[in-house]
Amino acid sequence: MKILADLVVSFMLVGIGAYGGGMATIPLIQYEIVTKRHWLNIKEMGEILAIAQMTPGPIAINSATFTGYKMGGIIGSTLATIAVILPSLLLLTFFGSLVLDRFENNPYYSRLSCSIQVGVTSLITYAVYSYGCAVIKGWFDFTIALVAFLLLVFSEKKLHPILVILICGVLGLIFY
Amino acid sequence: MDTKQAEIKKEYRVPEKISVLSIFWTFFRVGLFTLGGGLAMLPVMRHEIVHKQKWLDDCDFYSFVSLATAIPGAIAVNTAYLLGRRLAGKQGLAAAVLGTILPSFTVILLVVWFLSPFFKYPKVAAFLRGCAIAVAGQLAFAGLSFGKRSLGKWQQVVGFILGLTIIGVLKIHPIWGIIAVSIFGFYFFPHQES
Repeated sequence: MKILADLVVSFMLVGIGAYGGGMATIPLIQYEIVTKRHWLNIKEMGEILAIAQMTPGPIAINSATFTGYKMGGIIGSTLATIAVILPSLLLLTFFGSLVLDRFENNPYYSRLSCSIQVGVTSLITYAVYSYGCAVIKGWFDFTIALVAFLLLVFSEKKLHPILVILICGVLGLIFY
Repeated sequence: MDTKQAEIKKEYRVPEKISVLSIFWTFFRVGLFTLGGGLAMLPVMRHEIVHKQKWLDDCDFYSFVSLATAIPGAIAVNTAYLLGRRLAGKQGLAAAVLGTILPSFTVILLVVWFLSPFFKYPKVAAFLRGCAIAVAGQLAFAGLSFGKRSLGKWQQVVGFILGLTIIGVLKIHPIWGIIAVSIFGFYFFPHQES
């Protein structure tokens, strides 16, 4: 029972903090699931991120389903998946009917939104360091990460992220 | 209103009753056939809802997307919520959200059951390790794009360093970093007021 409650709390926190797409959820998952709760080790987290990118659906949901299943079977995976979307559903429900239709023109809102984006930039920058240190174990690993980064920078979003992941996977297959 | 406008209006008219089942099925298909995270789902969603089903026009669709981006959480799920609610109220949003998450939920369970036993094979492990390291490169790229967009002014750089200090040095929950930067930015960032 305790583990199910913990799963719900952890993934609700991931859901609240995930602002601005899948990449912003990665540091939160690392903090909650790997550093704080020790439910996955960094290798497993890397695997689930790789799988999340190659399967349908948002990263947050894929990792919630995976971690939930590992910790609490079908019930755990269902609860974790619901928990990760619950904060946004609640926000949409409460703000939805009241102000959402005029939200964009609200000056307070746009101030807040710009500020949150800076916070998310800090979060992702730190994630590059913490996730990078956790998975990169030598010069060759670093080269693979650099290849992925440069492919994304120089293809200017024309190269699908899955393709970048697959290229690095194949590099791993050949050289490890 | 000239006839052309009327035609456009007619073409994109929301039908009186869109069946909940067809909403579910549309979002399920979108969820099932888009790989590579939530953002990849949006163009496919647009194609299905604006072009194929003609349930909404582009303008409505993009206003929903920008609202969905404004709320924390998976953007695809938020967009599905807003679109589903617009199309068929409470039942519509339930159908749309369920349709969006069910494919990823099911596929992950299938991976856990049928593929994860192979993860310990050296070749598979090597492939996955390469993929996992690629995510570090993706993160760096995401950081670069976020930084380019949000760090134009020196006050924002101060906010960025504040956030980095809280998250990286104090090592308390990252959410506190975001909250602190939001409060700091709310008062001290130069905002263009309309």
